[in-house]
Amino acid sequence: MNISNAFRNYFEKNGVGLGTFLLVVVLFWVVVLIILPQLSMLDFSFRHHLPPPEMGGPKDVYTLEHYEYLVLGAPGADTSYNVVDLGVFGRTLMAAVFVTVLNLVICYPIAYYLAQSKGSGGTTRILVLLLIIPYWINEILRAFAFRIIFGDSGLINETLIVMGLIDNPIDFIRANVALYAGLGYAYILLMIFPIYNVIESLDRNQIEAARDMGASWARIHWRVVIPYAKPGISSGCTMVFMLTAGALAAPQILGGPSSLWFTQIIYQWFNQGGNWPRGAAFAIVLLVTCVIIVLSMMRLFKVKMGDIGK
Amino acid sequence: MKSENFLLKFFLAAYLIVFFGYLLGPLIVMSFTAFNSPAFPKLTPWECLTFEWFDVLAQDERITTGIKNSLFVGIGTVILSVVMGLAGALMLTQIWPKMRATYYTVVIAPILIPGVVLGISTLVFWDRISVLLGLGSGSFLQNGLFLTILGQSTFIASYCMLVFVARLQRFDTGLTEAALDLGATNAQAFRKILLPFMKPAIASAAVLAFLASFENYNTTTFTFGKFPTLTIELAQKVRYGIDPSISALAFIIICLTILGALAHEVYRRHQQLALNNGAPLSAVQGSFQLPKFLRGNPAAIVLVLIALGGFTTIWFAQSYSPKECILDVRQQKQILQEQRILEIKRQRMEQNKANQNSQSSAPAKSSTAPQSPGKGAFGGVFAPDNLDKKAVPESPGKGAFGGVFAPGNLDKATPPDKKSD
Repeated sequence: MNISNAFRNYFEKNGVGLGTFLLVVVLFWVVVLIILPQLSMLDFSFRHHLPPPEMGGPKDVYTLEHYEYLVLGAPGADTSYNVVDLGVFGRTLMAAVFVTVLNLVICYPIAYYLAQSKGSGGTTRILVLLLIIPYWINEILRAFAFRIIFGDSGLINETLIVMGLIDNPIDFIRANVALYAGLGYAYILLMIFPIYNVIESLDRNQIEAARDMGASWARIHWRVVIPYAKPGISSGCTMVFMLTAGALAAPQILGGPSSLWFTQIIYQWFNQGGNWPRGAAFAIVLLVTCVIIVLSMMRLFKVKMGDIGK
Repeated sequence: MKSENFLLKFFLAAYLIVFFGYLLGPLIVMSFTAFNSPAFPKLTPWECLTFEWFDVLAQDERITTGIKNSLFVGIGTVILSVVMGLAGALMLTQIWPKMRATYYTVVIAPILIPGVVLGISTLVFWDRISVLLGLGSGSFLQNGLFLTILGQSTFIASYCMLVFVARLQRFDTGLTEAALDLGATNAQAFRKILLPFMKPAIASAAVLAFLASFENYNTTTFTFGKFPTLTIELAQKVRYGIDPSISALAFIIICLTILGALAHEVYRRHQQLALNNGAPLSAVQGSFQLPKFLRGNPAAIVLVLIALGGFTTIWFAQSYSPKECILDVRQQKQILQEQRILEIKRQRMEQNKANQNSQSSAPAKSSTAPQSPGKGAFGGVFAPDNLDKKAVPESPGKGAFGGVFAPGNLDKATPPDKKSD
C-alpha cells in the first residue's frame, strides 16, 4: 500500500470536507506548533547575538559561540571551564533525579494501596479526590504555601522556638529543604496516577497465589507487583524527572540565594541578559540532555515510548 | 500472623495520615494565614481574625487585570487545544500503521518537553516569522495573548488528545458505518454520531485544558509580553514581597476547587443512585429533587453544609470588625516592648548597683547580696536602699521605672514593632 492509496482511503472514509479539516488542524499542530518552533530555536541557538537591524545581514552566520560559552566560559575567564553554569546544570540534574526517586518512594505505597483497596469504593474515591484537589491549585500558590511553612518566621521555625528546641530560626530556604519539599509536592500526582492505573489492572489472585506459596510481603512486591507495574513506574518517573528538571516557578520562589536552577539561568539570558540566542542554546542543551537521560533509562528498564501517557 | 497484620495496618494508617498531611497541610496553613492580621502571612502567633486581606485583594488592580487576561487566554486555549486534540486523536485511529508510532511520539512529546523550552521556541519562532514577513515590532504575531495561547495549546492539546483517545477506544465504528449506509454524509455522521458520543470527553478535556492554562507559569513567563496572566502576577508578587492577600486569593481558589469537586461528586452519585434504582439515564438527567438528592449522598450533604458555612462567614464578615482586636494586639505588643525596656533598665541599674557596692563598704554589700540579677521581674527596684541610689547622678532625670512612661517612649516602641511584622 503506497501513500497515495492511503490518502485516497482516508478521504473516502472521512469525506473531503471533514478529511481536509482534520488534516489541516493536525498539520497545524504538529508542524507549526511543535516541529517548526523547535527547529527554529535550534537554528537560532547557532547564531550570533545581533541587534535586530543586522539580522539576516552579512554578520548573521552560524556559530558555536553559545555552546562554547556554556562549556568553556567567557573568553578570557580565569577558569578553563565554565564552572558556574556547568555546576548549576549538574546540580539541577542531580536534584531532579533525587526528587524523582523521593517521589517514587513516597508514592508507590499510596498508589498500591489505592489500587488494591477497590472493595471499599467510598473511602478510595474520597482519597483520590483529596489527591486531585492540591493539583488544581496554582503552582505558584503551592510554592508560596511552602514558603509560609519554611520561612524564617514560618510555621516550623516558630513552633520549634516556642517549644524551646531551638533559639534561632533554621534557614530551611538556604538549605534547599523547602525547594525539595516543594518540588516533590508539585508532581506527586503525576507519579501516583500512572502507577495506580497499572496496579489497578493487576489480578489480585497473583498476589494471593504468591502469598499461598509462602512468599514474604517484600518478596511479593519485588517479584510480582513491581515487575507488573514497571510501565507505570517508568512513565511516572519520566514525567516527574522532566518536569522537575524544567521547573521554574518553585526554584524562583523557594530556591536559596546561593543555589540556582538551570532554568533560572535560561530565564536570565532571556529577560535580564537580553541574549536570546544564548538562552536558546542553553534550553537546547537542557532539552537534549533530559531526553537522552530518559531514553537511556527507558532502554535500561526495557520500557517502550508507547507506554508513556497511558 | 494476626499481630503482623495489625502492625501492618497501623503503619499503613500512620503513613496515610503523614502523606495526606504533607499533601493538604500546606494548603490548610496557607488558607488560615489569610485570616490572620500580621502583614506577613503567618499562622503563629495568631493575632486577630481579620477579613481585610480580601479587601486588599479586591482592590489590587494588577490582580484583576491578571484574572481578565487569564480568562481570555484560558478560553482561547480551550478552543484551540480541544479542536487540535480531537483531530489528533481521530488521526491516530486512522493513520497509516507504519507511521503510528512516530506520530504518537511527536504529539505526545510536548507533555515531556520542559515548559520553558516550549515558551522559548514559541517566542523565537513567531518573532522570526514576523521578521520574515517584514512586520514591525508590535505586530499581532508578537502580541502576548496570541503567543501565550499558541504556546500553551502546544502541550495542552496533547493532554486533551489523551482524554479523547481513551474515549475513542470504546467507540463502535459500526455506528458511523451504519449511518453512512443509511445515506448520511460524512459531516452528518460526524456531527450526529461521533460528537454526541465524545461529549463527556470533550467536557472533561475542556475543564482540564482550562485548569492547565490557568495555572501555567513556565511557558507563559516567556510569551506573555504586555499581558501578564494571573499566575505571572502572582509570581511577581511572591518573589518581591508577600502579603496575606495572596493567601486570601489562594483561599478563594481552594474553596472553588473543593466546591467544584464536590458538585461533580454529587452529580455522579446522584446519577449512579438513580441507575441503581433502575431508572433510565434520560430520566435522571435534569430532574433535581432535593430530598431524594440528599438521601444517601454524603457529598451532597457536605456541599450544602459548606455553602451554609460560606454564607454565614460572609454575613459574619459584614458585621465583624477586627479593629478592636488589632488595637488590642498593638497595645499588648507595646506592653511587651515596655517590659523589655524595663528589663534592660533594671539590668543596667543592677549593674550600676553592683559597681557601686564593690566600691562602697562591706556591710552595704551584704544587704544587697541576695538580690542577684535576674531574680523576679522587679529585681531590686523596691529594695529599701534603692531610693538613695536613685539620687545617684548616673541616670540623670530618670525615675525608678527608667522613664518607661515618658511620652516619647511610645514612639520609640513602635518602629521595632513594625519591623518584627
